[in-house]
Amino acid sequence: MLEVYGIGKTFHAGTPNEVFALRDVSFKLLEGSFLIIIGTNGSGKSTLLNAVAGTFSLDRGTVRVSGHNITKWPEHRRAKLIGRVFQNPYSGTAPNMTIAENLSMAARRGLPRGLAWAIPRTLRSELRDRVRTLNMGLEDRLDNDIGTLSGGQRQALTLLMASWLKPDLLLLDEHTAALDPKSADQVIRLTHEIIKRDKLTTLMVTHSMQQAVRLGDRLIMMHRGSILHDIQGAEKARARPEDLLQRFEDVRRREQLDAPVAEMLGKTYV
Amino acid sequence: MTLLLGASTVGLILALLALGVYLSFRIFNFPDITADGSITLGAAVTASLLILDWPPALATLAGFFAGMLAGTVTGLLNAKFRINGLLSGILVMTALYSINLHVMGKSNLPLLEETTLVTQSESFFGLLFGPGDVGVFGWEVNQRDAAALCLAGAMVAGVGMILYLFFRTEFGTAMRAAGDNPQMIRALGGSVDFILIFGLAVSNGLIALSGSLLAQYQGFADVQMGIGMVVWGLASVIIGEALVGSKSTGIVITGAIMGSLLFRLIVAIALRWGLDPNDLKLITAVFVFLALVVPGALAGLRSRAGRAR
Repeated sequence: MLEVYGIGKTFHAGTPNEVFALRDVSFKLLEGSFLIIIGTNGSGKSTLLNAVAGTFSLDRGTVRVSGHNITKWPEHRRAKLIGRVFQNPYSGTAPNMTIAENLSMAARRGLPRGLAWAIPRTLRSELRDRVRTLNMGLEDRLDNDIGTLSGGQRQALTLLMASWLKPDLLLLDEHTAALDPKSADQVIRLTHEIIKRDKLTTLMVTHSMQQAVRLGDRLIMMHRGSILHDIQGAEKARARPEDLLQRFEDVRRREQLDAPVAEMLGKTYV
Repeated sequence: MTLLLGASTVGLILALLALGVYLSFRIFNFPDITADGSITLGAAVTASLLILDWPPALATLAGFFAGMLAGTVTGLLNAKFRINGLLSGILVMTALYSINLHVMGKSNLPLLEETTLVTQSESFFGLLFGPGDVGVFGWEVNQRDAAALCLAGAMVAGVGMILYLFFRTEFGTAMRAAGDNPQMIRALGGSVDFILIFGLAVSNGLIALSGSLLAQYQGFADVQMGIGMVVWGLASVIIGEALVGSKSTGIVITGAIMGSLLFRLIVAIALRWGLDPNDLKLITAVFVFLALVVPGALAGLRSRAGRAR
Protein backbone atom coordinates (compact mmCIF):
# COMPACT_ATOMS: atom_id res chain seq x y z
CA MET A 1 0.00 0.00 0.00
CA LEU A 2 1.23 3.49 -0.87
CA GLU A 3 0.14 6.64 0.95
CA VAL A 4 1.29 10.01 -0.31
CA TYR A 5 0.24 12.91 1.86
CA GLY A 6 0.63 16.61 1.07
CA ILE A 7 3.97 16.30 -0.69
CA GLY A 8 5.57 19.36 -2.27
CA LYS A 9 8.80 20.10 -4.06
CA THR A 10 10.14 23.31 -5.52
CA PHE A 11 13.29 23.14 -7.60
CA HIS A 12 15.68 26.14 -7.70
CA ALA A 13 13.57 27.87 -5.04
CA GLY A 14 14.08 31.63 -4.86
CA THR A 15 15.76 31.89 -8.28
CA PRO A 16 14.32 33.00 -11.63
CA ASN A 17 14.30 29.31 -12.63
CA GLU A 18 11.97 28.37 -9.78
CA VAL A 19 9.83 25.35 -10.67
CA PHE A 20 6.90 24.20 -8.55
CA ALA A 21 7.31 20.57 -9.48
CA LEU A 22 4.87 19.18 -6.94
CA ARG A 23 2.23 21.18 -5.05
CA ASP A 24 0.46 19.46 -2.22
CA VAL A 25 -0.14 16.08 -3.85
CA SER A 26 -2.04 13.48 -1.82
CA PHE A 27 -3.45 10.08 -2.73
CA LYS A 28 -3.73 6.61 -1.34
CA LEU A 29 -3.11 3.48 -3.38
CA LEU A 30 -4.58 0.26 -2.03
CA GLU A 31 -2.70 -3.02 -1.92
CA GLY A 32 -2.71 -4.70 -5.34
CA SER A 33 -4.00 -1.75 -7.30
CA PHE A 34 -2.37 -0.52 -10.47
CA LEU A 35 -2.22 3.24 -10.88
CA ILE A 36 -1.42 4.94 -14.17
CA ILE A 37 -0.13 8.50 -14.15
CA ILE A 38 -0.38 10.68 -17.22
CA GLY A 39 0.23 14.36 -17.80
CA THR A 40 1.80 16.90 -20.13
CA ASN A 41 5.53 17.54 -20.19
CA GLY A 42 6.61 19.16 -16.95
CA SER A 43 3.35 18.26 -15.23
CA GLY A 44 5.24 16.57 -12.41
CA LYS A 45 4.40 12.96 -13.20
CA SER A 46 7.98 11.75 -13.21
CA THR A 47 8.81 14.00 -10.25
CA LEU A 48 6.01 12.31 -8.32
CA LEU A 49 7.43 8.91 -9.12
CA ASN A 50 10.95 10.00 -8.18
CA ALA A 51 9.63 11.44 -4.91
CA VAL A 52 8.33 8.00 -4.02
CA ALA A 53 11.59 6.37 -5.19
CA GLY A 54 13.61 8.81 -3.08
CA THR A 55 15.76 10.39 -5.79
CA PHE A 56 15.51 13.78 -4.02
CA SER A 57 14.33 14.99 -0.63
CA LEU A 58 10.86 16.53 -0.32
CA ASP A 59 10.13 20.03 0.93
CA ARG A 60 6.94 18.92 2.70
CA GLY A 61 4.64 15.96 3.11
CA THR A 62 5.08 12.28 3.86
CA VAL A 63 5.35 9.09 1.84
CA ARG A 64 4.38 5.77 3.41
CA VAL A 65 4.77 2.32 1.88
CA SER A 66 3.18 -0.67 3.64
CA GLY A 67 2.95 1.31 6.86
CA HIS A 68 6.61 2.45 6.86
CA ASN A 69 7.15 6.18 6.81
CA ILE A 70 9.92 6.28 4.19
CA THR A 71 9.98 10.07 3.71
CA LYS A 72 13.47 10.39 5.20
CA TRP A 73 14.85 7.07 3.92
CA PRO A 74 17.69 7.29 1.40
CA GLU A 75 17.05 5.88 -2.05
CA HIS A 76 18.95 2.61 -1.53
CA ARG A 77 17.10 1.82 1.70
CA ARG A 78 13.74 2.19 -0.05
CA ALA A 79 14.80 -0.61 -2.39
CA LYS A 80 13.78 -3.01 0.36
CA LEU A 81 10.15 -2.14 -0.43
CA ILE A 82 10.28 -0.77 -3.95
CA GLY A 83 11.19 -2.29 -7.32
CA ARG A 84 11.94 0.11 -10.17
CA VAL A 85 12.14 0.17 -13.95
CA PHE A 86 13.57 3.29 -15.56
CA GLN A 87 12.69 5.11 -18.75
CA ASN A 88 16.18 4.57 -20.15
CA PRO A 89 16.54 0.85 -20.92
CA TYR A 90 20.25 1.14 -20.10
CA SER A 91 19.71 2.49 -16.58
CA GLY A 92 18.42 -0.67 -14.96
CA THR A 93 21.28 -3.03 -15.71
CA ALA A 94 25.09 -2.99 -15.47
CA PRO A 95 26.31 -3.29 -19.09
CA ASN A 96 29.73 -4.82 -18.47
CA MET A 97 28.42 -7.60 -16.25
CA THR A 98 26.76 -10.80 -17.34
CA ILE A 99 23.01 -11.46 -17.38
CA ALA A 100 23.47 -13.92 -14.52
CA GLU A 101 25.42 -11.42 -12.41
CA ASN A 102 22.84 -8.71 -12.98
CA LEU A 103 19.98 -11.01 -12.02
CA SER A 104 21.86 -12.30 -8.96
CA MET A 105 21.94 -8.77 -7.61
CA ALA A 106 18.19 -8.48 -8.06
CA ALA A 107 17.82 -11.68 -6.02
CA ARG A 108 19.39 -9.70 -3.11
CA ARG A 109 17.38 -6.49 -3.60
CA GLY A 110 17.23 -4.66 -0.28
CA LEU A 111 18.94 -7.53 1.55
CA PRO A 112 22.40 -7.33 3.13
CA ARG A 113 25.19 -8.36 0.75
CA GLY A 114 27.94 -10.40 2.32
CA LEU A 115 30.77 -12.68 1.26
CA ALA A 116 28.58 -15.57 0.10
CA TRP A 117 28.93 -16.51 -3.57
CA ALA A 118 26.88 -14.19 -5.74
CA ILE A 119 25.69 -17.03 -7.97
CA PRO A 120 25.41 -20.32 -6.06
CA ARG A 121 24.40 -23.40 -8.03
CA THR A 122 20.80 -23.32 -6.76
CA LEU A 123 20.35 -19.74 -7.93
CA ARG A 124 21.74 -20.57 -11.36
CA SER A 125 19.01 -23.05 -12.17
CA GLU A 126 16.40 -20.62 -10.85
CA LEU A 127 17.87 -17.90 -13.08
CA ARG A 128 17.55 -20.15 -16.09
CA ASP A 129 13.94 -21.06 -15.30
CA ARG A 130 12.81 -17.52 -14.72
CA VAL A 131 14.62 -16.08 -17.73
CA ARG A 132 13.03 -18.78 -19.87
CA THR A 133 9.58 -17.34 -19.02
CA LEU A 134 10.55 -14.22 -20.99
CA ASN A 135 10.57 -16.29 -24.19
CA MET A 136 13.54 -14.39 -25.57
CA GLY A 137 16.03 -17.24 -25.71
CA LEU A 138 18.18 -15.48 -23.13
CA GLU A 139 18.35 -18.52 -20.84
CA ASP A 140 21.22 -19.86 -22.97
CA ARG A 141 23.10 -16.58 -22.85
CA LEU A 142 23.31 -16.09 -19.09
CA ASP A 143 27.07 -15.58 -19.23
CA ASN A 144 26.96 -12.92 -21.92
CA ASP A 145 27.44 -9.29 -20.96
CA ILE A 146 24.06 -7.64 -20.64
CA GLY A 147 25.41 -4.69 -22.65
CA THR A 148 25.31 -6.84 -25.79
CA LEU A 149 21.51 -7.10 -25.65
CA SER A 150 18.92 -4.83 -27.27
CA GLY A 151 17.06 -2.16 -25.35
CA GLY A 152 13.88 -4.24 -25.33
CA GLN A 153 15.67 -7.30 -23.98
CA ARG A 154 17.38 -5.25 -21.30
CA GLN A 155 14.11 -3.62 -20.29
CA ALA A 156 12.42 -7.02 -20.04
CA LEU A 157 15.26 -8.21 -17.81
CA THR A 158 15.04 -5.06 -15.70
CA LEU A 159 11.35 -5.75 -15.21
CA LEU A 160 12.15 -9.30 -14.19
CA MET A 161 14.78 -7.97 -11.79
CA ALA A 162 12.48 -5.36 -10.23
CA SER A 163 9.92 -8.07 -9.48
CA TRP A 164 12.37 -10.90 -8.66
CA LEU A 165 11.63 -10.56 -4.95
CA LYS A 166 8.02 -9.44 -4.72
CA PRO A 167 8.20 -5.68 -4.09
CA ASP A 168 5.62 -3.89 -1.90
CA LEU A 169 5.49 -1.30 -4.65
CA LEU A 170 6.55 -1.40 -8.29
CA LEU A 171 7.51 1.88 -9.98
CA LEU A 172 7.51 2.04 -13.78
CA ASP A 173 8.81 5.32 -15.23
CA GLU A 174 7.72 5.49 -18.90
CA HIS A 175 9.58 2.24 -19.24
CA THR A 176 8.60 1.64 -22.87
CA ALA A 177 9.02 5.22 -24.11
CA ALA A 178 12.52 4.64 -25.48
CA LEU A 179 11.72 1.32 -27.19
CA ASP A 180 10.65 0.57 -30.74
CA PRO A 181 6.89 -0.24 -31.05
CA LYS A 182 7.37 -4.01 -31.25
CA SER A 183 9.65 -4.21 -28.20
CA ALA A 184 7.37 -1.79 -26.35
CA ASP A 185 4.40 -4.11 -26.97
CA GLN A 186 6.39 -7.07 -25.77
CA VAL A 187 7.50 -5.30 -22.59
CA ILE A 188 3.96 -4.05 -21.91
CA ARG A 189 2.59 -7.58 -22.27
CA LEU A 190 5.22 -8.81 -19.83
CA THR A 191 4.44 -5.95 -17.44
CA HIS A 192 0.77 -6.90 -17.49
CA GLU A 193 1.54 -10.58 -16.87
CA ILE A 194 3.92 -10.01 -13.97
CA ILE A 195 1.69 -7.48 -12.22
CA LYS A 196 -1.36 -9.71 -12.58
CA ARG A 197 0.47 -12.87 -11.50
CA ASP A 198 2.09 -11.37 -8.40
CA LYS A 199 -0.77 -8.92 -7.66
CA LEU A 200 1.77 -6.11 -7.42
CA THR A 201 0.86 -2.65 -6.19
CA THR A 202 2.06 -0.58 -9.12
CA LEU A 203 2.59 3.03 -10.05
CA MET A 204 3.25 3.55 -13.74
CA VAL A 205 3.99 6.79 -15.53
CA THR A 206 3.23 6.79 -19.23
CA HIS A 207 2.79 9.20 -22.11
CA SER A 208 0.85 6.66 -24.17
CA MET A 209 -2.93 7.11 -24.04
CA GLN A 210 -3.32 3.57 -25.38
CA GLN A 211 -1.42 2.14 -22.41
CA ALA A 212 -3.26 4.49 -20.04
CA VAL A 213 -6.66 3.10 -20.99
CA ARG A 214 -5.60 -0.51 -21.49
CA LEU A 215 -3.66 -0.98 -18.28
CA GLY A 216 -4.37 -0.29 -14.63
CA ASP A 217 -7.46 0.12 -12.50
CA ARG A 218 -6.96 3.77 -11.66
CA LEU A 219 -5.71 6.78 -13.55
CA ILE A 220 -4.33 10.08 -12.31
CA MET A 221 -3.82 13.02 -14.62
CA MET A 222 -1.25 15.53 -13.43
CA HIS A 223 -0.96 19.16 -14.38
CA ARG A 224 1.49 21.77 -13.08
CA GLY A 225 2.47 19.68 -10.11
CA SER A 226 -1.06 18.87 -8.97
CA ILE A 227 -3.56 16.08 -9.53
CA LEU A 228 -6.08 17.31 -12.10
CA HIS A 229 -8.22 14.18 -12.51
CA ASP A 230 -8.40 10.97 -10.53
CA ILE A 231 -10.39 8.32 -12.42
CA GLN A 232 -11.19 4.96 -10.86
CA GLY A 233 -13.47 1.96 -11.07
CA ALA A 234 -16.12 1.85 -13.77
CA GLU A 235 -15.17 5.27 -15.08
CA LYS A 236 -11.58 4.08 -15.62
CA ALA A 237 -12.78 0.93 -17.34
CA ARG A 238 -14.93 3.04 -19.72
CA ALA A 239 -12.21 5.58 -20.50
CA ARG A 240 -11.10 5.85 -24.12
CA PRO A 241 -7.97 7.51 -25.50
CA GLU A 242 -10.12 10.24 -27.10
CA ASP A 243 -11.60 11.17 -23.71
CA LEU A 244 -8.17 11.59 -22.23
CA LEU A 245 -6.97 13.61 -25.19
CA GLN A 246 -10.06 15.79 -24.84
CA ARG A 247 -9.14 16.48 -21.24
CA PHE A 248 -5.63 17.50 -22.31
CA GLU A 249 -7.20 19.75 -24.92
CA ASP A 250 -9.34 21.37 -22.19
CA VAL A 251 -6.25 22.06 -20.17
CA ARG A 252 -4.50 23.57 -23.16
CA ARG A 253 -7.44 25.87 -23.92
CA ARG A 254 -7.65 26.94 -20.31
CA GLU A 255 -3.94 27.83 -20.36
CA GLN A 256 -4.58 30.30 -23.17
CA LEU A 257 -7.00 32.37 -21.07
CA ASP A 258 -5.82 35.31 -19.04
CA ALA A 259 -3.86 34.27 -16.01
CA PRO A 260 -6.35 35.53 -13.36
CA VAL A 261 -9.29 33.99 -15.17
CA ALA A 262 -7.38 30.75 -15.59
CA GLU A 263 -6.57 30.71 -11.92
CA MET A 264 -10.21 31.32 -11.00
CA LEU A 265 -11.38 28.64 -13.43
CA GLY A 266 -8.65 26.37 -12.17
CA LYS A 267 -9.90 26.63 -8.64
CA THR A 268 -13.46 25.73 -9.57
CA TYR A 269 -12.32 23.09 -12.03
CA VAL A 270 -9.95 21.26 -9.71
CA MET B 1 70.41 -12.44 -14.34
CA THR B 2 70.50 -10.44 -11.10
CA LEU B 3 69.14 -7.50 -13.05
CA LEU B 4 66.23 -9.54 -14.36
CA LEU B 5 65.50 -11.04 -10.96
CA GLY B 6 65.59 -7.65 -9.27
CA ALA B 7 63.36 -6.11 -11.94
CA SER B 8 60.89 -9.00 -11.68
CA THR B 9 60.73 -8.66 -7.90
CA VAL B 10 60.02 -4.95 -8.07
CA GLY B 11 57.54 -5.63 -10.88
CA LEU B 12 55.67 -8.10 -8.71
CA ILE B 13 55.70 -5.80 -5.68
CA LEU B 14 54.36 -2.97 -7.82
CA ALA B 15 51.72 -5.34 -9.19
CA LEU B 16 49.96 -4.79 -5.87
CA LEU B 17 49.97 -1.09 -6.72
CA ALA B 18 48.58 -1.94 -10.15
CA LEU B 19 45.76 -3.97 -8.56
CA GLY B 20 44.91 -1.03 -6.30
CA VAL B 21 44.89 1.34 -9.25
CA TYR B 22 42.77 -1.14 -11.22
CA LEU B 23 40.22 -1.08 -8.40
CA SER B 24 39.90 2.71 -8.27
CA PHE B 25 40.45 3.66 -11.92
CA ARG B 26 38.80 0.75 -13.66
CA ILE B 27 36.16 -0.64 -11.29
CA PHE B 28 34.97 2.74 -9.99
CA ASN B 29 36.21 4.98 -12.77
CA PHE B 30 37.58 7.10 -9.93
CA PRO B 31 40.91 8.86 -10.66
CA ASP B 32 42.29 8.30 -7.18
CA ILE B 33 45.71 9.89 -6.86
CA THR B 34 45.80 9.27 -3.10
CA ALA B 35 48.02 6.40 -4.27
CA ASP B 36 51.10 8.64 -4.46
CA GLY B 37 50.74 9.28 -0.73
CA SER B 38 49.46 5.92 0.42
CA ILE B 39 52.31 3.92 -1.14
CA THR B 40 54.73 6.03 0.92
CA LEU B 41 52.44 5.74 3.95
CA GLY B 42 52.64 1.95 3.80
CA ALA B 43 56.42 2.11 3.55
CA ALA B 44 56.68 4.68 6.35
CA VAL B 45 54.43 2.84 8.80
CA THR B 46 56.08 -0.52 8.20
CA ALA B 47 59.59 0.92 8.39
CA SER B 48 58.92 2.80 11.62
CA LEU B 49 57.38 -0.26 13.25
CA LEU B 50 60.24 -2.49 12.11
CA ILE B 51 62.67 -0.11 13.75
CA LEU B 52 60.58 -0.51 16.93
CA ASP B 53 61.23 -4.26 16.53
CA TRP B 54 57.70 -5.24 15.60
CA PRO B 55 57.38 -8.64 13.92
CA PRO B 56 57.65 -8.00 10.15
CA ALA B 57 54.29 -9.64 9.37
CA LEU B 58 52.48 -7.35 11.80
CA ALA B 59 54.38 -4.28 10.63
CA THR B 60 53.40 -5.09 7.04
CA LEU B 61 49.77 -5.60 8.02
CA ALA B 62 49.83 -2.26 9.86
CA GLY B 63 51.06 -0.63 6.64
CA PHE B 64 48.12 -2.16 4.79
CA PHE B 65 45.62 -0.84 7.34
CA ALA B 66 47.19 2.61 7.31
CA GLY B 67 46.59 2.67 3.55
CA MET B 68 42.98 1.59 4.07
CA LEU B 69 42.53 4.51 6.44
CA ALA B 70 43.89 6.94 3.85
CA GLY B 71 41.54 5.49 1.22
CA THR B 72 38.62 5.80 3.62
CA VAL B 73 39.33 9.51 4.07
CA THR B 74 39.44 10.07 0.30
CA GLY B 75 36.16 8.14 -0.04
CA LEU B 76 34.51 10.15 2.72
CA LEU B 77 35.60 13.46 1.19
CA ASN B 78 34.08 12.43 -2.12
CA ALA B 79 30.95 10.55 -1.01
CA LYS B 80 29.91 12.47 2.10
CA PHE B 81 31.26 15.97 1.46
CA ARG B 82 30.69 15.83 -2.31
CA ILE B 83 34.22 17.01 -3.11
CA ASN B 84 35.32 16.24 -6.65
CA GLY B 85 37.07 12.86 -6.80
CA LEU B 86 40.34 14.14 -8.20
CA LEU B 87 40.47 16.93 -5.60
CA SER B 88 39.67 14.51 -2.75
CA GLY B 89 42.69 12.47 -3.78
CA ILE B 90 44.92 15.55 -4.08
CA LEU B 91 43.88 16.75 -0.61
CA VAL B 92 44.62 13.43 1.06
CA MET B 93 47.84 12.95 -0.89
CA THR B 94 49.06 16.40 0.15
CA ALA B 95 48.13 15.81 3.78
CA LEU B 96 49.85 12.44 3.68
CA TYR B 97 53.17 14.06 2.78
CA SER B 98 53.30 15.73 6.21
CA ILE B 99 51.86 12.68 7.93
CA ASN B 100 54.50 10.45 6.36
CA LEU B 101 57.25 12.78 7.58
CA HIS B 102 55.76 12.63 11.08
CA VAL B 103 55.52 8.84 10.96
CA MET B 104 59.11 8.47 9.84
CA GLY B 105 60.54 11.35 11.90
CA LYS B 106 62.90 12.18 9.03
CA SER B 107 62.81 11.98 5.27
CA ASN B 108 64.58 8.65 4.92
CA LEU B 109 64.57 5.56 7.13
CA PRO B 110 67.19 2.87 6.43
CA LEU B 111 66.19 -0.73 7.28
CA LEU B 112 69.47 -2.47 6.61
CA GLU B 113 69.89 -3.66 10.19
CA GLU B 114 66.26 -4.70 10.72
CA THR B 115 64.53 -8.04 10.41
CA THR B 116 62.05 -7.72 7.53
CA LEU B 117 59.83 -10.08 5.59
CA VAL B 118 62.61 -10.24 3.02
CA THR B 119 65.33 -11.22 5.52
CA GLN B 120 62.92 -13.72 7.07
CA SER B 121 62.20 -15.40 3.75
CA GLU B 122 65.94 -15.36 3.07
CA SER B 123 66.61 -17.33 6.26
CA PHE B 124 63.71 -19.61 5.37
CA PHE B 125 65.41 -20.25 2.02
CA GLY B 126 68.65 -20.93 3.87
CA LEU B 127 66.89 -23.63 5.89
CA LEU B 128 65.37 -25.16 2.75
CA PHE B 129 68.34 -25.16 0.40
CA GLY B 130 71.30 -24.74 2.74
CA PRO B 131 73.64 -21.73 2.64
CA GLY B 132 75.09 -20.29 -0.54
CA ASP B 133 73.62 -19.50 -3.94
CA VAL B 134 70.53 -21.22 -5.28
CA GLY B 135 70.52 -22.93 -8.64
CA VAL B 136 67.62 -21.89 -10.86
CA PHE B 137 67.53 -23.44 -14.35
CA GLY B 138 71.29 -23.76 -14.26
CA TRP B 139 71.94 -20.20 -13.06
CA GLU B 140 73.50 -19.56 -9.71
CA VAL B 141 71.29 -16.99 -8.02
CA ASN B 142 71.95 -14.94 -4.91
CA GLN B 143 69.82 -16.37 -2.11
CA ARG B 144 68.39 -12.99 -1.09
CA ASP B 145 67.24 -12.22 -4.63
CA ALA B 146 65.58 -15.59 -5.04
CA ALA B 147 63.88 -15.36 -1.65
CA ALA B 148 62.59 -11.85 -2.32
CA LEU B 149 61.23 -12.89 -5.71
CA CYS B 150 59.37 -15.84 -4.21
CA LEU B 151 58.01 -13.69 -1.39
CA ALA B 152 56.73 -11.05 -3.80
CA GLY B 153 55.31 -13.70 -6.12
CA ALA B 154 53.48 -15.45 -3.28
CA MET B 155 52.05 -12.17 -1.97
CA VAL B 156 50.81 -11.08 -5.39
CA ALA B 157 49.37 -14.49 -6.20
CA GLY B 158 47.58 -14.54 -2.84
CA VAL B 159 46.20 -11.02 -3.16
CA GLY B 160 45.19 -11.57 -6.79
CA MET B 161 43.37 -14.77 -5.85
CA ILE B 162 41.56 -13.15 -2.91
CA LEU B 163 40.56 -10.23 -5.13
CA TYR B 164 39.27 -12.58 -7.82
CA LEU B 165 37.22 -14.58 -5.32
CA PHE B 166 35.98 -11.40 -3.67
CA PHE B 167 34.60 -10.11 -6.97
CA ARG B 168 32.45 -13.22 -7.20
CA THR B 169 30.78 -12.70 -3.83
CA GLU B 170 27.52 -10.83 -3.32
CA PHE B 171 29.33 -7.75 -2.04
CA GLY B 172 32.06 -7.94 -4.67
CA THR B 173 29.49 -8.20 -7.45
CA ALA B 174 27.69 -5.18 -6.01
CA MET B 175 31.00 -3.31 -6.00
CA ARG B 176 31.58 -3.95 -9.69
CA ALA B 177 28.00 -2.92 -10.40
CA ALA B 178 28.43 0.28 -8.37
CA GLY B 179 31.21 1.24 -10.76
CA ASP B 180 29.39 0.05 -13.87
CA ASN B 181 25.97 1.56 -13.15
CA PRO B 182 25.49 3.31 -9.79
CA GLN B 183 21.84 4.11 -10.47
CA MET B 184 21.05 0.42 -10.86
CA ILE B 185 22.75 -0.74 -7.68
CA ARG B 186 21.02 2.05 -5.73
CA ALA B 187 17.67 0.84 -7.05
CA LEU B 188 18.59 -2.65 -5.88
CA GLY B 189 19.42 -1.49 -2.37
CA GLY B 190 23.19 -0.99 -2.45
CA SER B 191 24.62 2.13 -0.84
CA VAL B 192 26.93 3.45 -3.55
CA ASP B 193 28.61 5.76 -1.01
CA PHE B 194 29.50 2.93 1.33
CA ILE B 195 30.68 0.68 -1.49
CA LEU B 196 32.87 3.44 -2.93
CA ILE B 197 34.44 4.26 0.46
CA PHE B 198 35.11 0.59 1.12
CA GLY B 199 36.52 0.08 -2.38
CA LEU B 200 38.89 3.04 -2.10
CA ALA B 201 39.98 1.76 1.31
CA VAL B 202 40.88 -1.64 -0.16
CA SER B 203 42.53 0.00 -3.16
CA ASN B 204 44.77 2.18 -1.00
CA GLY B 205 45.37 -0.68 1.40
CA LEU B 206 46.83 -2.71 -1.48
CA ILE B 207 48.88 0.26 -2.65
CA ALA B 208 50.25 0.77 0.88
CA LEU B 209 51.02 -2.94 1.06
CA SER B 210 53.00 -2.52 -2.13
CA GLY B 211 54.94 0.36 -0.54
CA SER B 212 55.52 -1.65 2.60
CA LEU B 213 57.05 -4.55 0.64
CA LEU B 214 59.04 -2.18 -1.55
CA ALA B 215 60.62 -0.57 1.52
CA GLN B 216 61.52 -3.98 2.94
CA TYR B 217 62.97 -5.10 -0.38
CA GLN B 218 65.05 -2.04 -1.16
CA GLY B 219 66.02 -1.61 2.51
CA PHE B 220 64.71 1.90 3.15
CA ALA B 221 61.61 4.06 3.17
CA ASP B 222 61.80 7.50 1.59
CA VAL B 223 59.26 10.29 1.75
CA GLN B 224 59.68 10.93 -2.00
CA MET B 225 59.20 7.34 -3.11
CA GLY B 226 55.51 7.77 -4.03
CA ILE B 227 55.89 10.50 -6.63
CA GLY B 228 54.37 9.45 -9.95
CA MET B 229 53.29 6.03 -8.71
CA VAL B 230 49.66 6.44 -9.86
CA VAL B 231 50.84 6.86 -13.42
CA TRP B 232 53.12 3.87 -13.00
CA GLY B 233 50.23 1.71 -11.78
CA LEU B 234 47.97 2.96 -14.55
CA ALA B 235 50.60 2.14 -17.15
CA SER B 236 50.76 -1.41 -15.77
CA VAL B 237 46.99 -1.78 -15.92
CA ILE B 238 46.88 -0.49 -19.49
CA ILE B 239 49.68 -2.81 -20.62
CA GLY B 240 47.88 -5.66 -18.87
CA GLU B 241 44.64 -4.90 -20.70
CA ALA B 242 46.49 -4.82 -24.00
CA LEU B 243 48.13 -8.15 -23.17
CA VAL B 244 44.95 -10.04 -22.30
CA GLY B 245 42.39 -8.11 -24.34
CA SER B 246 39.46 -9.18 -22.20
CA LYS B 247 37.16 -7.55 -19.68
CA SER B 248 36.60 -10.64 -17.56
CA THR B 249 37.67 -9.87 -13.99
CA GLY B 250 39.96 -12.83 -13.39
CA ILE B 251 41.79 -12.31 -16.64
CA VAL B 252 42.14 -8.57 -16.11
CA ILE B 253 43.62 -9.16 -12.64
CA THR B 254 46.17 -11.54 -14.14
CA GLY B 255 46.76 -9.01 -16.90
CA ALA B 256 47.49 -6.19 -14.45
CA ILE B 257 50.06 -8.36 -12.68
CA MET B 258 51.66 -9.35 -15.97
CA GLY B 259 51.56 -5.73 -17.11
CA SER B 260 53.41 -4.55 -14.03
CA LEU B 261 56.03 -7.27 -14.45
CA LEU B 262 56.51 -6.57 -18.14
CA PHE B 263 56.65 -2.81 -17.68
CA ARG B 264 59.31 -3.11 -15.01
CA LEU B 265 61.37 -5.45 -17.18
CA ILE B 266 61.16 -3.10 -20.15
CA VAL B 267 62.26 -0.22 -17.96
CA ALA B 268 65.16 -2.23 -16.52
CA ILE B 269 66.35 -3.11 -20.00
CA ALA B 270 65.96 0.48 -21.21
CA LEU B 271 67.97 1.73 -18.25
CA ARG B 272 70.62 -0.86 -19.02
CA TRP B 273 70.79 0.44 -22.60
CA GLY B 274 71.58 3.87 -21.25
CA LEU B 275 68.21 5.56 -20.69
CA ASP B 276 68.71 8.51 -18.32
CA PRO B 277 66.86 7.56 -15.09
CA ASN B 278 65.75 11.19 -14.79
CA ASP B 279 63.66 10.74 -17.94
CA LEU B 280 61.82 7.72 -16.57
CA LYS B 281 58.76 9.52 -15.24
CA LEU B 282 58.46 11.64 -18.37
CA ILE B 283 58.55 8.54 -20.53
CA THR B 284 56.01 6.78 -18.31
CA ALA B 285 53.65 9.76 -18.54
CA VAL B 286 54.03 9.96 -22.32
CA PHE B 287 53.43 6.24 -22.54
CA VAL B 288 50.17 6.47 -20.58
CA PHE B 289 49.11 9.44 -22.71
CA LEU B 290 49.71 7.47 -25.90
CA ALA B 291 47.96 4.39 -24.49
CA LEU B 292 44.91 6.52 -23.68
CA VAL B 293 44.79 8.42 -26.97
CA VAL B 294 46.05 6.08 -29.68
CA PRO B 295 43.28 3.43 -29.56
CA GLY B 296 40.61 6.15 -29.89
CA ALA B 297 42.50 7.92 -32.66
CA LEU B 298 42.97 4.65 -34.54
CA ALA B 299 39.25 3.88 -34.27
CA GLY B 300 38.49 7.38 -35.54
CA LEU B 301 40.81 6.93 -38.51
CA ARG B 302 39.31 3.55 -39.28
CA SER B 303 35.72 4.85 -39.28
CA ARG B 304 36.76 7.84 -41.39
CA ALA B 305 38.45 5.49 -43.84
CA GLY B 306 35.29 3.36 -43.83
CA ARG B 307 33.14 6.38 -44.64
CA ALA B 308 35.49 7.51 -47.42
CA ARG B 309 35.01 4.15 -49.07
